[in-house]
Amino acid sequence: MPEEKFNFTKAYQEIEEINEWFQGEEIDLDEALQKYEKGMELINECRERLKTAENKFEEIKKKYSNEE
Amino acid sequence: MKIDQILKTESKIEEKVFTVSEFLDFINEVLRPCRVIIQGEIGEKINNYPRFTFFRLLDKNNSILECFTWREKIENLGMELESGMEIRIIGYPEVRKDKGELKFQVERIELIGEGILKKQFEILKKKLSALGYFDLKFKKPIPRFCENIGLITSKYGKGGLKDFKTHLGNFGLRVCFYDARVEGSFAIPEIQEGIRWFNQNLPKIDVLVLTRGGGGWESLQPFNSEELVKAIFASKIPIITGIGHEDDETLVDFAADLRASTPTHAAKILSENWKSASVKVYEFKKNINVSINNLLRNFKEKVHFFEGSFNSIISKICGYINEKIIFFEKNLITKVKREILLKQRELDGLVRNLSFGFQNYFRELEILERGFERNFLKIKSLIKNQKFKIEQFLENLIKNKNRWRERMEKLLKQQEGKLIPSSPQLKLKQGYTITSDEFGKIIKDPARLKIKQTIQTKFYKGRIFSTINKIKKYARGKI
Repeated sequence: MPEEKFNFTKAYQEIEEINEWFQGEEIDLDEALQKYEKGMELINECRERLKTAENKFEEIKKKYSNEE
Repeated sequence: MKIDQILKTESKIEEKVFTVSEFLDFINEVLRPCRVIIQGEIGEKINNYPRFTFFRLLDKNNSILECFTWREKIENLGMELESGMEIRIIGYPEVRKDKGELKFQVERIELIGEGILKKQFEILKKKLSALGYFDLKFKKPIPRFCENIGLITSKYGKGGLKDFKTHLGNFGLRVCFYDARVEGSFAIPEIQEGIRWFNQNLPKIDVLVLTRGGGGWESLQPFNSEELVKAIFASKIPIITGIGHEDDETLVDFAADLRASTPTHAAKILSENWKSASVKVYEFKKNINVSINNLLRNFKEKVHFFEGSFNSIISKICGYINEKIIFFEKNLITKVKREILLKQRELDGLVRNLSFGFQNYFRELEILERGFERNFLKIKSLIKNQKFKIEQFLENLIKNKNRWRERMEKLLKQQEGKLIPSSPQLKLKQGYTITSDEFGKIIKDPARLKIKQTIQTKFYKGRIFSTINKIKKYARGKI
């Protein structure tokens, strides 16, 4: 099985949820530390992904339209 | 070029003699690939049948082209053909074998003139809307962060491609570009094919973008066709359209899952979330850091507070315990002292009793000792007397010993003289015998013997062993 590809949408959504969770009241410290660690990991991954600046532009060759 | 091809073909078939049918088939085969666009005015005679229609296309020079089209092509137009209507037809010529006439096979009809086009637009909009092609419930959601984008537009277009690329930003996106005409009669099949191609070959891409730069109302007509509306509706991949200028509104825009006003706008929609994410990701980091720091500070403060409370509670408890210990200690000492005193008194009493008892014992012991001493002397003189008596007795015994022996010998001789006549030896000597069994047991009653048993008979001088042959028993008392 190939390694699961990083999913930016999923990661970003999770960061948003973590951020929102931190804005709430009655925060459990153990859970907070876990979420903090996970959040930082995801943020770093997203930042890495955002560093890939150049878009890749490729034209479909219709002759070989059955191949990618 | 086409003429060349025909000539070339003719040279090949120099010797061939056609039948009429064969020749017409040949001609039609050559004509069919010749797709052309012809503009003209519809003639007076229009023959409508349930599945097809015949009409004539005229021009100012009174030239006539006989035309044939399927009913479906007219339905796509959204309105009926009318005499005098200016149209453009796309198709190919064909010679009808049964009548020998040339008929133009119409594949698509386009209306000419802004007025009629607007009218057609409204009719088709109403029709397709009624059929549900523009319903919001069928709109597919556009992913929040599109990374793989399929782009359908013309590479020769004035603005579509360039504007889109320029405003997409740089977020490492992958754009697969499918070149298709976006104007004129051939735009529709090419765009249709593009949509089909992406759905078939890259079904996993996030979004399809169909764009075209600005132009006159007429140039946007392919995007007002029923065919493209249906193609967009059928796509499994969500589609964003960005066609013409901001004010331009096409039927395709209604069918799209999301309408962008221009190619630039389409690109901005796609890059907007990426742009905001690249800023927000830092904000999130900051927020989360602040939150966790606050949390840890609060926790630390709480720990300090609890530590203080805990210490004071502990020192209170310790003080209390200390007091208790001192109290118990005091109590214990008093109690123990009292106990010791009590036990000491008991012990003194015991010692007194004991020494009194011992004195009595000693006294009794002394009395006993004295008594014993007296008795001992008595026993001693008694033993001495007894010893003297025994010695005297022994002395007399020795003195009388010989006299006793002589008396005993004499007595023995007298007894012997009495015993001799009854001696068995004497009886044997007199001729008697003694019979015994093989074990030497003397036999007194032959009834206890058995025939063939061995018996021994003792004589005065020797013995014999014999076997019993016969036993004769005496009656009781008889000898």
